[in-house]
Amino acid sequence: MTQEQLINSILEFIASDATTEMDFNKLAIESFAYQYENNIPFRQFSIQQGSTPRTAKTWRDIPPVPINAFKSVLLTCCEPTSTGRTFMTSGTTQNGVCGKSYHPVLSVYDQSMIRNFKNRFLGDADKIKMGILFPDTDSMPNSSLAHYLSLALNNFGTESSSYLLTKEGIDFSRVFENLQYAQDTNTPYAMLGASFSIVHLLDEMAKQNKTYSLPAGSKILDTGGFKGQSRELEQNEFYEQLSMTFGVPRNKCFNMYGMTELSTQFYDNGNAKCPSIKTGPHWIRSRVINPLSKTDVKMGDKGALVHCDLAHFNIVSTILTEDAGIEVEDGFLLLGRVDGAEAKGCSMAVDEFLRANQ
Amino acid sequence: MNTLIEQAGHVPDFLIDDIKWQQLIFSNNSQSLNVNVPILTATQCQRLSDHIKLNNTQFLKKQNTTTIIELIDKAIERLLNRSDPFRLKAEKLLPVVTGFDTEMIRLSLTDYLKNFRKPQLLRFIAEDFSNPKILDEFQPIIKGGFAKAFGPDCLLHIWAGNVPGLPLWSLISGLLVKAGNIGKVSSSEPLFASWFVQLLIDIEPRISDCLAIVCWEGGNTEQESVFLNNAEVVVAYGGNTALKEIQHRTPITTRYLPYGHKISFGIVSASVLDSQKSWVVAHKAANDIARYDQHGCYSPHVFFIESGGNISPRTFAHYLAHELSCLQEKFSRRSLNVNESIQLAHWRDDETLKLLSEPGSEVISDKDGLWTVTFTEDEGSFSLSGLNRTIRLVAVNSFEKIIPLITPYKQFLQTVGIAATPTEVFQLSEQLGQHGVTRISGLGSMTAPEAGWHHDGRFNLLDLITLTEIESSAEVSSELYTPYKD
Repeated sequence: MTQEQLINSILEFIASDATTEMDFNKLAIESFAYQYENNIPFRQFSIQQGSTPRTAKTWRDIPPVPINAFKSVLLTCCEPTSTGRTFMTSGTTQNGVCGKSYHPVLSVYDQSMIRNFKNRFLGDADKIKMGILFPDTDSMPNSSLAHYLSLALNNFGTESSSYLLTKEGIDFSRVFENLQYAQDTNTPYAMLGASFSIVHLLDEMAKQNKTYSLPAGSKILDTGGFKGQSRELEQNEFYEQLSMTFGVPRNKCFNMYGMTELSTQFYDNGNAKCPSIKTGPHWIRSRVINPLSKTDVKMGDKGALVHCDLAHFNIVSTILTEDAGIEVEDGFLLLGRVDGAEAKGCSMAVDEFLRANQ
Repeated sequence: MNTLIEQAGHVPDFLIDDIKWQQLIFSNNSQSLNVNVPILTATQCQRLSDHIKLNNTQFLKKQNTTTIIELIDKAIERLLNRSDPFRLKAEKLLPVVTGFDTEMIRLSLTDYLKNFRKPQLLRFIAEDFSNPKILDEFQPIIKGGFAKAFGPDCLLHIWAGNVPGLPLWSLISGLLVKAGNIGKVSSSEPLFASWFVQLLIDIEPRISDCLAIVCWEGGNTEQESVFLNNAEVVVAYGGNTALKEIQHRTPITTRYLPYGHKISFGIVSASVLDSQKSWVVAHKAANDIARYDQHGCYSPHVFFIESGGNISPRTFAHYLAHELSCLQEKFSRRSLNVNESIQLAHWRDDETLKLLSEPGSEVISDKDGLWTVTFTEDEGSFSLSGLNRTIRLVAVNSFEKIIPLITPYKQFLQTVGIAATPTEVFQLSEQLGQHGVTRISGLGSMTAPEAGWHHDGRFNLLDLITLTEIESSAEVSSELYTPYKD
């Protein structure tokens, strides 16, 4: 299968409203075969893991690539060129190396984002006035989140939508103007951004003793967690504060779960209850596994999340994350990223060792 | 799942009715346990410190060392007695608190506690004091004059980690120098120090006012500061980040003795790698790995295996894997929570990914990740294991190759377990010592230091005391004022 054929199949799959599990498996195995054929490190990895496109029957048989591999191995099915885009993971990583995902074209990523965002966040409205608490793509060309938010703004934001983050940080007076205007004119407003930026905004509003009561139809989307860049809040506390400060009910405060190593995002249906259930569209599937035995855990047990995202066609579709989760009836609960906590004993743990060497 | 309840900690009677208790919840091996630990207010911390200091001078300081040794010996004897209620409790509850294998805890406790019987305690003292009576009264010293060793009125221990019994090392050292002791238990294992203190009080009720075992949340500066400001000596265990924070809050006039996380490793000489001895060596190495699942500072991360023996380093890696799989049947590894599993999988997956670019390397692992041996011929490689029964084996052409690898980590090195000939042991020890290694043990004994071991190369008792010297001038001039002077 050529790249063009695969892209067309995936775009068709995304656009379709009537796909079955069998259709998903067929395309997943085709993507696996394409990646196996065109990506030598991935082929070696698959052989090592004892699974090849010949032996894999369903998407569950595709060996999930640990996300750390995105740092050490170049995972792409075609030579990177200047016409493609590379997204990189944020934050400091092992030896300063970050994970990379190379996209020769963005049409699949964009289609995946747009269709899913419309269904899950926008709802009935065609457009809404947006305020983005994140840098634009010019400032962060390698950030998949910056690209995601620019797609949101360009496709679904009204003309008066804007970025609210400057090089100096959050433009608070602009944020307050926007909020005041929305409140005064009864115009629904959507605020989207990194969770930690929203905490910074909450802190400033608390300092200035400001609260708003945004009109019905307003929503908030946060993503990415706090990453040590703001104070850490319990989820319940975070959404309660959002609701109290902006007057947006908790079921209209959405959390998006996405990552550089994927081209599709997961959403919840608001956060009236935490932790909320995350689900994705029909072109992504998730499993919860024991990361050591690589076998599925029982429904309701904690494990590591594995995602098979057809839209991530050029890299690898099936990845093993370092996010803990629980499978539930209609999706999964996201328990968050497991970062390198110190071991319980008095022997040095790898993460402490790496920090000591930095 | 039935829930057990246990009271930890100790505060003297005068405070007992006023304090609050916090519940720590443990669940392992299909049992759960709620442990209540005492939490004090800042005012209570101050009152407690004053009380301990006063009673220490009035009681413990007046005891002679032999009496204290005999008291500790009696308590340890009870802990070694498998029908004593405290021992029974330890064998029942420590597996629930730590998750370690029940049988492994039982054997390890006995091995460890044997270090604190009367003969071994005498050894502890003899290691640090050529004349042990210096702890009881002024003794003549070589340079002239007399000296006496005084322990602190208030010694603060901040313990960390989940290795059962670890606090005993510093607590017993404190008692041997007649210090008033306040210990903060680790929330990962709050029980053992508490039981030991309860036993001491059972045997000698008057010691109750000279000891306290408490808890507070790490970094809670209010309670911690009161204790830090009252202690004359602070012994703290933990990661370097936590230790630095404690140091920052400790007054400059207070002696601060930090024990950070350490790196230990093993060395196997080609001379022992023949078809007979290799299995024995692999068995011993596996024991060092399995004991407390490498949670101890003395547990190995890496084994350097010298090439050139009858058995190749690669074959030895398979021997070791076999031994680890056998040990899993005997002492199963503690079950990991999902976060620990993800971290361990991260380590193992990284090692597996390396194979793509290092064809000579191997990852030998149990299918459920209960143990993993990685093997590499890349001599430039020094990185850590993922702990929890994972070990890196590095083949080296000669021992000379090891030194440059460990040099950058001098401040973190501790134990090296060696299987080699006597000549090699002494040659290697010279170099290892120069590069920061403070303890060299036989393989199979890495996790069982001898009584009187100088932890991290320091002195268990000498570091705690201050010497008061009567200089010869005072002694000579006092003769001028005797009533019998002519």
